[in-house]
Amino acid sequence: MAFEWSQYKCGEAFDELLAAPGRPRPAARKLLNYLQSLTPKDLADRRLAADLAIKVMGITFTVYSEGKTLDRAWPFDIIPRVIERREWEQTERGLKQRVNALNQFIQDIYGDQKIVKDKVVPAQVLTESANFRPQCVGVQPKYGVWAHICGSDLVRDGDGTLYVLEDNLRVPSGVSYMLENRMVIKRVWPELFQITNILPVDDYPAQLYDTLAALSPRPGDQPTVVLLTPGIYNSAYFEHAYLAQQMGVELVEGTDLLVGDDDCVYMRTIYGPKRVDVIYRRIDDMFLDPETFRADSVLGVKGLMRAWIRGKVGLANAPGAGVADDKVIYAYVPAMIKYYLGEDPILPNVPSFLCLDELHRKHVLANLDKLVVKPANESGGYGMLIGPRSSREERERFARLIEKNPRNYMAQPTLSLSTGPTITDEGVEPRHLDLRPFILSRGESTYVTTGGLTRVALVKNSLVVNSSQGGGSKDTWVVDLDEEVTPGQLQEQLQEQNQ
Amino acid sequence: MLSRVADNLYWLGRYLQRAENTARLINVNALLMLDLPRRVKLGWAPLIAIVGADDIFRTHYSEATEDNVVHFLATDTRYPGSISSSLLHAREILRTVRDTVPRDAWERLNDVYFYVQEHGETGVASAQRQAFLGEVITGALLLDGVLISSMSHDVGYQFLRIGSYLEQADMTTRILDVRSIDVGREQSGADLSPFENIVWMSVLRSLTAYQMYRRHMRTRVSGASVLRFLLQNRQFPRSVMFCLSSIASTLPLLPDNRKIERAIERTRALVRDANIDALVKAEGGVPRLMDEIQIGLGELHTALSDAYFQMA
Repeated sequence: MAFEWSQYKCGEAFDELLAAPGRPRPAARKLLNYLQSLTPKDLADRRLAADLAIKVMGITFTVYSEGKTLDRAWPFDIIPRVIERREWEQTERGLKQRVNALNQFIQDIYGDQKIVKDKVVPAQVLTESANFRPQCVGVQPKYGVWAHICGSDLVRDGDGTLYVLEDNLRVPSGVSYMLENRMVIKRVWPELFQITNILPVDDYPAQLYDTLAALSPRPGDQPTVVLLTPGIYNSAYFEHAYLAQQMGVELVEGTDLLVGDDDCVYMRTIYGPKRVDVIYRRIDDMFLDPETFRADSVLGVKGLMRAWIRGKVGLANAPGAGVADDKVIYAYVPAMIKYYLGEDPILPNVPSFLCLDELHRKHVLANLDKLVVKPANESGGYGMLIGPRSSREERERFARLIEKNPRNYMAQPTLSLSTGPTITDEGVEPRHLDLRPFILSRGESTYVTTGGLTRVALVKNSLVVNSSQGGGSKDTWVVDLDEEVTPGQLQEQLQEQNQ
Repeated sequence: MLSRVADNLYWLGRYLQRAENTARLINVNALLMLDLPRRVKLGWAPLIAIVGADDIFRTHYSEATEDNVVHFLATDTRYPGSISSSLLHAREILRTVRDTVPRDAWERLNDVYFYVQEHGETGVASAQRQAFLGEVITGALLLDGVLISSMSHDVGYQFLRIGSYLEQADMTTRILDVRSIDVGREQSGADLSPFENIVWMSVLRSLTAYQMYRRHMRTRVSGASVLRFLLQNRQFPRSVMFCLSSIASTLPLLPDNRKIERAIERTRALVRDANIDALVKAEGGVPRLMDEIQIGLGELHTALSDAYFQMA
């Protein structure tokens, strides 16, 4: 036998697949029983098959190192993360509610700023936000939607509560890996799909296409949609190419596009210029248009903002949407949900201390060794202080940074991220993980991926899941138990859940 | 079709064809060396001449030994036309046009790319060489098959085909050029003429043309008939005429194609009207014709680039 689950060393953290050593959670029972029936050789063979599939499928991400760009194979663990459908449906409702409020917030911020006037969000938070774009004030995007594509990071604490850690509203990436992980895992464990009711994930490219097509300024069935990439050296280039391919749209670079005298956007084709209706841009705001933002940008398109403001082209996500992606604004999301929707948040925020607030700041500075401190506008896990694992010098450096620029810092208690069994060189061991679902907003409806991308910190005890810093990923299964459970089993499950 | 993508697909076609042709070229030369007596020192230098890389070869190697030439052509990434470099370029390009090419093609290219990466150093040693080059050829053919059978034969596909046919026509004329000089020349005091038909057979083999030649020509292998077959035959896919006609057949799908058409026509006339028997007899006749065809192919490339790849 490859692995005996009674020997699995659940740590203090919540484990996604096992309630305790030898006690699988209901949604994971079939998976774990099956894994237990395999010989060590079987398991090693499957792992090899996955590595090979990843290589042949060319699933890579790009890292920069010593001035060189390297194309690395995507680190992947073959033991999936499993979520029970009923829990997922609740999470999905929470995400829809959250993104709906965020979009209303962005619309309000670039409009009347009612939420500031009503003193729910302090004006200072906005005026000092690095992602607030004055150029967007007064713009009315179609359907009032600014963040068409959102990737929210969810983490589970020791008591099993699922928290939203952050919302990525600029150019969130990772969805292609979610789709590719499923392709790989189907090659690795085809038989598990017959004995378990795993909900499919492959609808996303079609949903994304519909979301984008709906932004076309011209009526008609066949709008020209393009995906704008910074190019082959971008770390998410694989994803850009993948999504363009899956949607059947043109993958363009800045130099492929031009804005005409009529303020319309065109792409350079062998037939001459062709009008573009919608751009799914995977370039940051500041590089979008050298005429409006950074003049030295060679990635963007001159005049693009002009075209967008005049309603000649749809842009997703809308420029300026990142204003709500700020880790300080984040702390106000529960208040936003109440303010705009009159509802209680379904998914909780991680309790947050804003260094802007004097009382909070004092608390943060006094407890740097217990807290995680984050800068407001960084992503990718950079520029953070993880208190319990920091040195005194690091804490002193952060104390100075916070005193100097309190608006730019917030702190949260260190969560003991949940774990999942992961194959390591030392056998199957728990590793910390998170979850990034993707949410598509199109005004009248909102779509959430089935599950999302599970990222796992492959280094023992590490809490950093970013692929640029030693993270990997797992396939995420939303499993429907309703069709496969007898009343007796259900009773048993409920008892286990209550323990 | 974006101009940049059309350009990339064209070069993808060229690089893939180049990798396959280079593998065949090395393979066949090795076999030829086995057939020639030791005193006839044809050697490996002609391969460098065929690919037109004398300068860059001399920069890195002092002698055209078997090891040096094979290493240079197969795995040396300092030479942009080597098998390794061609596959590397093809892969970089395919990455930028992944959305236009079927996923299977990407997987097949990764197969052969990683194969060469992993086995290149040991694969060029003479004991493993044939198997190694065989894998490269098979990989390239598989990829070609995927493109033919699963990619829409749309305008992008036409650029891919144009690239591979232009590359093939180029390689065919290069081989004919160098080998016709080799045959005409006395090698280190030993006359090559008794072995002339062995050399011409190897020319056919390096273009996988031997069997088809026998079927079509039904005559013993001679310089003139080989030239006629590889230049003018209308059914053999690696003949210059076939390549040019195939490029011409893509024209209806290309916008504003008059200049392209004219460039093809000029070169086609050159090939069609060539009096092979007279050329073979004349001093330097064959190399002169090959030069003219090469210039024609160069003009065709420029016409394509001006019409479609250069961005307004």
